[in-house]
Amino acid sequence: MTNQAINSNELYRVPKGCSWQCDLTNRVYIQFQETVAAFRLRDFFAFHRKVSAIDIHEMIYNLSDDFDFEIIEAPQQGVSLQLGLCELVQLRDLLDGTKFALKLNSMLHEALGTVSLV
Amino acid sequence: MKDLVRLHTSLTEEIEAALNDQCKMEAEASLKYLAMAAWLDRNGFDYSAGYLYAQAEEEREHFLKIFKYITEVGGVAITPTPNEVQQEFGSLRDVFETALQGEIAVTHSINRIVAKCRELNDYATEEFMMWYVREQREEEHNARRVMELFELIDANSSTGRFVLDEEISKVGRRVS
Repeated sequence: MTNQAINSNELYRVPKGCSWQCDLTNRVYIQFQETVAAFRLRDFFAFHRKVSAIDIHEMIYNLSDDFDFEIIEAPQQGVSLQLGLCELVQLRDLLDGTKFALKLNSMLHEALGTVSLV
Repeated sequence: MKDLVRLHTSLTEEIEAALNDQCKMEAEASLKYLAMAAWLDRNGFDYSAGYLYAQAEEEREHFLKIFKYITEVGGVAITPTPNEVQQEFGSLRDVFETALQGEIAVTHSINRIVAKCRELNDYATEEFMMWYVREQREEEHNARRVMELFELIDANSSTGRFVLDEEISKVGRRVS
């Protein structure tokens, strides 16, 4: 676990990485394998959409070498990853979980009004 | 822990997706009217072609209005990729029947968004969409009025078609 993850608000964790929210910069951090990237929320949602749109079934069933890896890029965050099927599933899981945690936090804020959540 | 989602936008994901779908529908409606206008133009119906060219512009304005609203409230407006639109029509009547069906489909879609806004307590978007509710009432009224003209004027004679062409272009501009 990185120091940032300990000191900030951890959102989600998978075996290959974790995510957390920084309240000072209003950024969502994604740490996956050796890569750490800070996303503005809008960019995070766009990145999530991009990763969700990858056709996993095509990667499984297409025997061509072209479908063994997928290149994932987020140029503004300096992210460029070449991921195999299992890694991609892990990343997707991390992003889905992060999105869920962000939405849950928002719902709690709405439901509890001005109560400060720790 | 801050509520980053709410800081970023007042739109829920569901409403954002519904508005983006509506953008696509309005953009497609504009292209459908354009295709109809072009068909009318090449078949000698100058006046009604002009009427539908104007409708195409209006639909594009409707599309842009939603598109800009999504951005204004912090959402992500996605530039739509329209589907293929019908280019050929059987008759003048066929064109305007298709137009009426299109308007009815748009009205249903807008009603579904308003219902969704109420379900999710998004009163700002509901208020924004009420403009479209009123607009659709007028659009459907005009499209039905055109169909009425086909009952009043004989589209099987060349004179009838000529008069229809002129009368259709006046729909919506009459002072009641």
